[in-house]
Amino acid sequence: MLEVRRKRLGKLLVILFISAVGISLILFSLNSKLDLFYTPSEILSGKINSSSRIKLGGMVKANSIKRLGTSTSFLVTDFQAEVFVKFEGVTPDLFKEGSGVVVLGYFKDQKFSAEEIFAKHDENYMPPELEIGSQSE
Amino acid sequence: MIGEIAHFFSLSAALLLIIILLLNIIFFFSNPNSNQLILSIRLFNQSCWLIFVSFGLYIYLAITDDFSISYIASHSNSQLPIFYKIASIWSAHEGSMFLWIVFLALWSLLFINGLDKNNPLKKLTLIMLILVILGFLLFLLITSNPFSRILPFGVMDGADINPILQDPALAIHPPILYLGYVGFVISFSYVMAYLCKGNFKIEWEEDIRAWSFVAWIFLTVGITLGSWWAYYELGWGGYWFWDPVENVALLPWLAATAFMHSLYASSKSNILKTWTLFLGIMIFSLSLFGAFIVRSGIIDSVHSFANDPQRGLYLLGFSGLMTLLSLVIFAYRIPAINSSKPVITGSKESFLSMNNILMVTSIFSIFLGVTYPLILESFSGEKVSIGPPYYNTIFAPLILIASILIMISVDSLWQRKMLARKFFRSIIPTFILVTSIIYIFWYLINEFSLLTYIGIFSGLIILVAYFIKIISSLKAKEYINKGSAFAHIGLGILFLSISVNSLLSYQKNINLSVGESLRINESIESFKFSNLNVRTASNHDVISANVFVLMDGVSVNLNPEKRKYSTRGQITSETAIHATPFKDIYLNIGDQLEDGSWTFSLKINYFVKWIWLSSALMVLGMVLAMQKRKI
Repeated sequence: MLEVRRKRLGKLLVILFISAVGISLILFSLNSKLDLFYTPSEILSGKINSSSRIKLGGMVKANSIKRLGTSTSFLVTDFQAEVFVKFEGVTPDLFKEGSGVVVLGYFKDQKFSAEEIFAKHDENYMPPELEIGSQSE
Repeated sequence: MIGEIAHFFSLSAALLLIIILLLNIIFFFSNPNSNQLILSIRLFNQSCWLIFVSFGLYIYLAITDDFSISYIASHSNSQLPIFYKIASIWSAHEGSMFLWIVFLALWSLLFINGLDKNNPLKKLTLIMLILVILGFLLFLLITSNPFSRILPFGVMDGADINPILQDPALAIHPPILYLGYVGFVISFSYVMAYLCKGNFKIEWEEDIRAWSFVAWIFLTVGITLGSWWAYYELGWGGYWFWDPVENVALLPWLAATAFMHSLYASSKSNILKTWTLFLGIMIFSLSLFGAFIVRSGIIDSVHSFANDPQRGLYLLGFSGLMTLLSLVIFAYRIPAINSSKPVITGSKESFLSMNNILMVTSIFSIFLGVTYPLILESFSGEKVSIGPPYYNTIFAPLILIASILIMISVDSLWQRKMLARKFFRSIIPTFILVTSIIYIFWYLINEFSLLTYIGIFSGLIILVAYFIKIISSLKAKEYINKGSAFAHIGLGILFLSISVNSLLSYQKNINLSVGESLRINESIESFKFSNLNVRTASNHDVISANVFVLMDGVSVNLNPEKRKYSTRGQITSETAIHATPFKDIYLNIGDQLEDGSWTFSLKINYFVKWIWLSSALMVLGMVLAMQKRKI
């Protein structure tokens, strides 16, 4: 019986070892697949790597949406800084001026080219960071 | 008044459950007596009926527009059709929690009364079921009371259900999904009763087999309905977004699928017993984890309900305690459970074991993807999100390994080594056939992406392996496990169709004025925006575009819409989809520009129908497997 248990413990250790290796591999690959989240002030103040995909969250500034053909440009603001965003395609229904928005894409040459726009399903939605920011003001 | 009666019934149900628990503690010290169990069950049945009646009254309140109930006032509206007045109950947190409890009570009631009266696990199962129901019922009554009134007077009219939720598929998606989630309370309670009892000679697998099948079917149908709804309603052209809430629905599904395989092995050949018990605990724990993620507002998601720390804390405590307790009991009992029969490499048992390992790996990867941003944020304050790229890279190798194993396992037998001759006879032709199909495919479309080709390869080897198997068994009039064949063919089609879909589908953004037309590419010869219609429906105004698309010589009429809902002023889009067996023409209308022209987004999506078909096949396979009697 003791022998059986010892064997079982050995098996368990092997499994644990393999899963530890697996986990580290997953974590390693995780790091390159993360989309970091920024607010406009953070983007403008920090050094953003123009080749990494990031998320930008804020409010769509009033009277800033301009549409030309199928492309749309607008300003995302956190009431301290604003970032110029360009997007190609049809914008979601809840995307409108004065509403919260999260865009996914690349920041290069002081311009954000968005691949995707997430406007939340709740019309009262605000990115959480912004909510904290506007309360503390 | 009816609201108070309903509230009172729910409170009495909770009280009754507490009384049964107390009675059982007293009984524990007195002599065991079969009348005690009969009494407990009778009280339990009454408690369940109190919950049902309470919910029935709540439906009545919703139908009769009692807007003094604050939950109904904020989620329903007098203009809604009756169907959506009822569906509005589960459109937000409190009501959907109520529904969850009703289903918990329903499953428990059916299961416990269907058990043989001499079943040695009956009493402990009952206590486990009561603990779970009570945990959720107290959660509902303490933190999320659906009965609370707006005092002193109600409002004139309700604030309406969110327009994008006014859709038949979405109205039935939560109930079906919940029936699946909650259905696994039965395997959980029974497994826990078995572990607590400590008599490991009891055969328990057969008693919960059918129940687990039914719960699995509901869970699968529920997830598919949600995915189907997202495809035609959200207008993003996708069917799965690796959204955290989708992921937490996938976790119990994966655990449940592993459990079904493991249960098969352990009831058939007495191996993997501990795995089966472990998975039985995991399914329900992951369901609880899902409830915590969705209802605590801890993550930002399409699905998440309003943020409430109190609820989050309660659910975290409850699900954490349940999981921890069950795992401790499990760990305590492992050494005594004897299932250390050697597993022969290449036997059916060995493949079922490997299935379990792969499933648990996928569960772990998804779990990590969901929790990593939370962990990182609480430690470093950095905000991150994990999207499709992570899951695609993690799943591609897993899918490949799983498919190769499925392909080999097609010819495997119970407790026997696989014959080398048979092995080579089926595997080499499969590999040659699949590689040549892929080569021709690549030659024809001239596009390459490693991950999608891994998916196509994986799907095809499963399909070809089963194709060969079916042909040869029909010829030799051999037995074939139909349930397993259908489910795995469904899986093969799923891998194949999602890969081809991601490889071939494309999108075009179009800007046109009324009356204009445009040539898009070789296949879409003309896109004509002929006119725009405006009309009024019961609770919304509609702008509908009339578009003719000439694709591959066939003219298709599409009418994408924009709707403006009167009560909330919310605007939604209705996608127009022309579905053919191999591709969907998927059209959305965007915004109007200053010069009066409109934007459209046109998507050509390949093999979407096959994704739904694959899920239907898996369900069919499970139905067939369920009907099979114990061999």
